[in-house]
Amino acid sequence: MKLDIANPAWRQSLPPHRSVAGDAPVAACAFNREGKLAAFALGDGSVRMLPTDIAAEPPQPAAPFHDGAVLSLVGDPAGDGFVSGGDDGRLLRIAADGGVVELINQKGRWVEHLAQHVATGAIAATIGKNAYVQKGGEVREFGPHQSTVAGIDFSKDGSRIACAHYGGVTIWSLGQSGGQSGGQAGVAPRRFAWAGSHVAMKWSTDGKFIATGTQENDIHVWRIAQATDMRMQGYPAKVKSLSWSADGRFLYTSAQPLFTAWSFAGKGPEGKPPLQFGEEGAGLLTAVAAQPAGEYVAGGFDSGELQVGDVKLRQSAVLKMADGSPITCLDWSPDGQKLAAGNERGDMLVLDLRR
Amino acid sequence: MAEAQVPVTVLTGYLGAGKTTLLNRILSEQHGKKYAVIVNEFGELGVDNDLVVNADEEVFEMNNGCICCTVRGDLIRIIEGLMKRKQKFDGILVETTGLADPGPVAQTFFTDEDVRARTRLDAIVTVVDAKHFLGQLEQGDEAEEQVAFADVILLNKTDLVGEDDLKKVEGTIRGINPLARLHRTQKSQVELDAILDKGAFDLNRILEFEPDFLHHGHHHDHEEEVTSLAFSADRPVNPEKFQKWMGALLQLRGGDIFRSKGILAIAGAPRRYVYQGVHMMMDSDWGAPWKEGEARSSKLVFIGRNLDGANLKRGFEDCLT
Repeated sequence: MKLDIANPAWRQSLPPHRSVAGDAPVAACAFNREGKLAAFALGDGSVRMLPTDIAAEPPQPAAPFHDGAVLSLVGDPAGDGFVSGGDDGRLLRIAADGGVVELINQKGRWVEHLAQHVATGAIAATIGKNAYVQKGGEVREFGPHQSTVAGIDFSKDGSRIACAHYGGVTIWSLGQSGGQSGGQAGVAPRRFAWAGSHVAMKWSTDGKFIATGTQENDIHVWRIAQATDMRMQGYPAKVKSLSWSADGRFLYTSAQPLFTAWSFAGKGPEGKPPLQFGEEGAGLLTAVAAQPAGEYVAGGFDSGELQVGDVKLRQSAVLKMADGSPITCLDWSPDGQKLAAGNERGDMLVLDLRR
Repeated sequence: MAEAQVPVTVLTGYLGAGKTTLLNRILSEQHGKKYAVIVNEFGELGVDNDLVVNADEEVFEMNNGCICCTVRGDLIRIIEGLMKRKQKFDGILVETTGLADPGPVAQTFFTDEDVRARTRLDAIVTVVDAKHFLGQLEQGDEAEEQVAFADVILLNKTDLVGEDDLKKVEGTIRGINPLARLHRTQKSQVELDAILDKGAFDLNRILEFEPDFLHHGHHHDHEEEVTSLAFSADRPVNPEKFQKWMGALLQLRGGDIFRSKGILAIAGAPRRYVYQGVHMMMDSDWGAPWKEGEARSSKLVFIGRNLDGANLKRGFEDCLT
């Protein structure tokens, strides 16, 4: 799909979209594996599923699945629906028809972060200081880490998971036979240290880097093979959203008024400023998402504005006007043609970029 | 979307002092208010509320190496998580463990921008066990620091000691912290408006303070004693000089200065200049206006360890015009 971002006529009109108003903040949004459904995790415990065919009639909202707020949501890598985590301590598998299977229940804890790996069908979840990997009906525990896990992601091939916590990142190999205690019976996990609190994490799409956002408004990136690291400063706020381009060349970050791309081609970004582009004046980016198998990047701002950017053209176009409610989450459909976004007020959006 | 900041009350106190009793008392009163409660994992008793979050008291040091910049990352995370709920709260109550240092809790509300945007620290309430407090002072620094940080102190279990002993304990508390509101209680029984919505960190609500140095305690057997010092002046203060001096002082000595507070008269200014600090973090702003005919004097109080009175006095006097 080619977006005609440089064309003034294209830029003047907003793409067709569906907007549904909820009455609780949207914590996360995702598409299912087939890209036919988008789902939104809401602060009232419900997971609202909407057809991505924006002309189709949306079904009636289902009753809340969680008792409290839904904190995390991903597409189910091994099913037709979604997987959600809540502040009721439950990890749920929700089928497209609304059927629910409880995967984990730890009352009094929060299921805060989720990751999925489509090729292996595995789901990773964080609960307190532990990580859990669910695959083929089995749940394995990894941890405890030195503090609550603040970010989790799979390696490119799905053979490992990385967990962010105080003092750095830990990588566990899933291939180790460890039973209850995860990888501990096999090879020791790898630690990448950097003092302080890490608040977001993403493993690069090429598998070579791990990036975190820190409490101190920096980003930190480790080169895994060399075990070297780098730190990028100059953000006015914490970087809570990170996204790697599909080819692994660029790391996009939130917390800037423009799209900000650190280039990892060649020698990497050290000592060089990032590429910055876009339409200034929309506030600070709160969510960024690189297009899967594509070259575009979507960004949501604290003003509520949505933009799509093209790093080659160093240009962006507005997809949704500012409305005062910060964008809290963004996701692309697997085919890269549709975008889902949610905001603090509870609005759920599906945009169709093919026009 | 400028929503009102949710007030946060921190409940601290040594093991067995009556924190959880106080917490349950707040929750069980018919006030029609909705509280989120953040308890520690080692809570002494069950807490009866439909929204209780377990915290692990995860303190971390900033990468900048400043030992005073320790904050509670778990609180930042939990507050952010609570704000995702549909149901909004009238307040958040944070119960610390009996051995917790209140510093990182307070500093969290000074440092983290997201937390500051959503919540405001209302007051630190410390429950003191009247019978065991003097003994607890000898066991370590915690009991003393919890009193030093307090905005409100409940001198609890007063039914278990005689009036003479109570006076002695009160004197010792006043020696550490002459600013906090002190209430004598039994079974943590206190009017809720004595502990909630105090605005202790609200620069606009700090109108006056009268350090209670009347009955100064004598517990000089404790090595690095926590004390307080107060200074006042009738001449106005030069705000630039004051900012510079206080900034440098806290940078250098902030580790030992737990709390500091000031109401300053600035030449020609119709309003008070209000200052407060928690360790190295400081906050200052124009406060309430002086009333007609009101004596415009400046006051400054430090609560901390190894305070150098002569040096602080000289520093303050150098800021006067």
